[in-house]
Amino acid sequence: MSAGTQVHANLTEEQVREISGDLDEPEWLLETRLEALEALEELDMPDVIRTPGRDWTNLHDLDFESLVDPLNAAEDKDQVGPEEAEVLSWSDAVQEHEDLLKEHFGSIVDPKENYLTALSTALFSTGTVIYVPEGVDAEDVAIRTEQNSRSLFNYTLVVTEESSSVTILERQSTGAEQDEQYYSGVVEVAAGENSYVQYGSLQNLSEEAYNFTVKRGVTDTYATIDWIEGNLGTQLTKTEVSTELRGDSSETQIVGAFYGHNDQHFDLDAKVWHRAEHTTADLITRGVIDDISRSVYEGVQDVGADAWDTSSYQRENTLMLSDESEADASPQLIINNHDTEASHSATVGQIDEEDLFYMTSRGVDPRSARNMLVEGFFVPVLEEIDVDELRDDLSELIGARLRQRE
Amino acid sequence: MSSDQDHLQETDTEARFEFKKEENSAVRSGKGLTEEVIRMISDDKDEPDWMLERRLRALEQYHNMPMPSDWPGMPDLSELDVEEIIPYIRPDVDKREGVDDWTELPDEIQDTFDKLGIPEAEKNALSGVGAQYESEVVYQNMQEQWEEKGVIFCNMDEAVREHPELVKEHFMTTCVPPSDNKFAALHGAVWSGGSFVYVPEDVTVEMPVQAYFRMNSEGMGQFEHTLIIAEEGSEVHYIEGCSAPKYGTHNLHSGGVEVFVGEDAHVQYSTVQNWSKNTFNLNTKRAICEENGTMEWVSGSMGSKVTMLYPCTILKGRGSTDTHITIALAGEGQDIDTGAKVYHNAPDTSSTIESKSIAKDGGRTNYRGLVHIADGAEGSSTAVECDALMFDNESTSDTMPYMEIEESKVDVAHEATVGKIGDEDIFYLQSRGLDDDDAKKMIVAGFIEPITEELPIEYAVELNRLIELEMEGSLG
Repeated sequence: MSAGTQVHANLTEEQVREISGDLDEPEWLLETRLEALEALEELDMPDVIRTPGRDWTNLHDLDFESLVDPLNAAEDKDQVGPEEAEVLSWSDAVQEHEDLLKEHFGSIVDPKENYLTALSTALFSTGTVIYVPEGVDAEDVAIRTEQNSRSLFNYTLVVTEESSSVTILERQSTGAEQDEQYYSGVVEVAAGENSYVQYGSLQNLSEEAYNFTVKRGVTDTYATIDWIEGNLGTQLTKTEVSTELRGDSSETQIVGAFYGHNDQHFDLDAKVWHRAEHTTADLITRGVIDDISRSVYEGVQDVGADAWDTSSYQRENTLMLSDESEADASPQLIINNHDTEASHSATVGQIDEEDLFYMTSRGVDPRSARNMLVEGFFVPVLEEIDVDELRDDLSELIGARLRQRE
Repeated sequence: MSSDQDHLQETDTEARFEFKKEENSAVRSGKGLTEEVIRMISDDKDEPDWMLERRLRALEQYHNMPMPSDWPGMPDLSELDVEEIIPYIRPDVDKREGVDDWTELPDEIQDTFDKLGIPEAEKNALSGVGAQYESEVVYQNMQEQWEEKGVIFCNMDEAVREHPELVKEHFMTTCVPPSDNKFAALHGAVWSGGSFVYVPEDVTVEMPVQAYFRMNSEGMGQFEHTLIIAEEGSEVHYIEGCSAPKYGTHNLHSGGVEVFVGEDAHVQYSTVQNWSKNTFNLNTKRAICEENGTMEWVSGSMGSKVTMLYPCTILKGRGSTDTHITIALAGEGQDIDTGAKVYHNAPDTSSTIESKSIAKDGGRTNYRGLVHIADGAEGSSTAVECDALMFDNESTSDTMPYMEIEESKVDVAHEATVGKIGDEDIFYLQSRGLDDDDAKKMIVAGFIEPITEELPIEYAVELNRLIELEMEGSLG
């Protein structure tokens, strides 16, 4: 089925005008939305990994007809940050920082990149803009989104000026349980010269929900973007976390953790594009899958022809707790410059029987032993998380899920 | 004989490359793919009807299948026009099934194989040799000691006539059906020549058997088929070498290889391909392994303009094993897209894939692999290792491994590295009196040693020589 056929009858220009009007948006933003709406006709679904005869993630079964309900978006949101930085709701940002939006909105994630980004651009009704002025160190920016409607489209923009830093912690959860929901989020990060952005995300939506997110950053000279990506909720998640290292000597780290059980499906991309000299990337993802859940991991390290003297590392490890689960991994290297040190590795395995035996022989009951080993498996990822709160929450959620297991 | 046959004696003096020979053909098909061409090939080979029917069915499948187009980073096939390829040329050799003495070959064919060192290798180290020139096997010999044990090594056309039951059962049925991909379908329609190897139960063929394929004519396609059947407890090592001189237009090589590894049997398939740099090399090679069987692929890919080749093993029986060792070298204008596919379909199966690639002068190498572990293949393990070496900034080196794991009681690991030749290593060697070129050659030789170790000495020498030729003068 081509994506074009999924533009459904109840999605209209009037709705888009109404969303934009409610937010008091300037004309150019409305135009951007309308262009994205129009582009839906031609755009395809985002790429998924394919091997002959097989799509590893099937997005075409998503029933947008019934899931997308643009005018009834409802949420409970916290957007807080320290005084030195500006943490604004979308409507405030439209009033106070139009110039900033004009410069960055849609410049990092092209609204017309695929069908779902265009849908998000046309229909988003909520968002956060974080602006960190030169030299400011902004700790503890928190964005908490509780989805209370059938669909929710969210947009986040982070702009850091020279030599500033910011730590952002974002969470998504579901409020009053809905049958099926669709959450869509686009995050753009523009890291200025010598600035540091740490962006942590903890997705714990209901297991009836569908989720599509793109988080992408670009770096200026000497800038660093560190991502932390935790995925626990939803029945289907398709997410990409990526950095384009555009400035010389810039760096990025992408740390991912996921835990799938029941019939959850996680399609997780971690990507880095080395586009400048002396750039460094480190991608590390660990996940557990259980029951009949499934993980699809695609990691791409792309070293461009002008990216001299780069280092790029990628590790992905999946632990399988059941026979019916499935893990797919594709860690790709695309190398166009020979002056690089690049490596990737991926493993899939089960709990080590000997470890289990050792622990049970020391009097630990088998279930606790297994849970301890799984918690131990996540340690290398948790260690990479600098934000205490995020690390504690993530490990608590993992522990809770493990204890649920029969 | 149909009117499509041209009895051409072309004298092409352009684009001379080493020891290119004048085309010497007795029968030559027209260009393109039509039912007439297929019937003419089958007729010229005196084939039984069932084979003609298989060809025609494959042709139909070929026409119904689209060209592959949606693979990420796939090589450019736009310059390949299958309709312009001449699928069949029979050289002018007296005996249709080939000769068994080198001296009976026409001088220029003999001379070609002499220069490639094939007769010498046969004398010294091999159990048997088959040599294919254009579409036909022109020379075939098997040492008597193996024949006495019931080993069959003959060309594929002869096998169709002499061993129809074996061929009927195994030829493009379960291993590589024409429906597998567009080029397998093409191959099924126009295949010609190739080797048939049959090793009876518990027979070990201690010396390798060898086939050598050479494309000499401009604009031709070569579609040899290799069928290896190793019965329970048997062991054989098959070596294939390929080359073609350089021509202005594009050649197509689309071979098919099917290997049946019986219970407890062991087959090693080694190949060194050095097609000319205008050749599209699009092959399908696959093995099916029964219980405790072992399949080993050793391949070196040096030549061709584009290679798309992913030798595949289906580990069907419990405890079967697969090993892939591959090396690819891509220079200017070359896109070598190669890798390995393994399906673990039974418990306690294991596979290891070791892939090395070298990219230089703007060439591209890609490791494209697929490891699939089916639900129920418990106790299976796989380890994939790819290393890439890059010489300069015009070159590209990619790896695209795919892993599909449906079973939890398994052990899967993948590792890949990309690096440049270490300046320190070069400095060290130079300080010991080697010049820059020699230092680099030595580092490359060390890098590919795991491959050359697996090959008989003649092939290891040839591989090293080919790489040396490729490296010569190209180093900055």
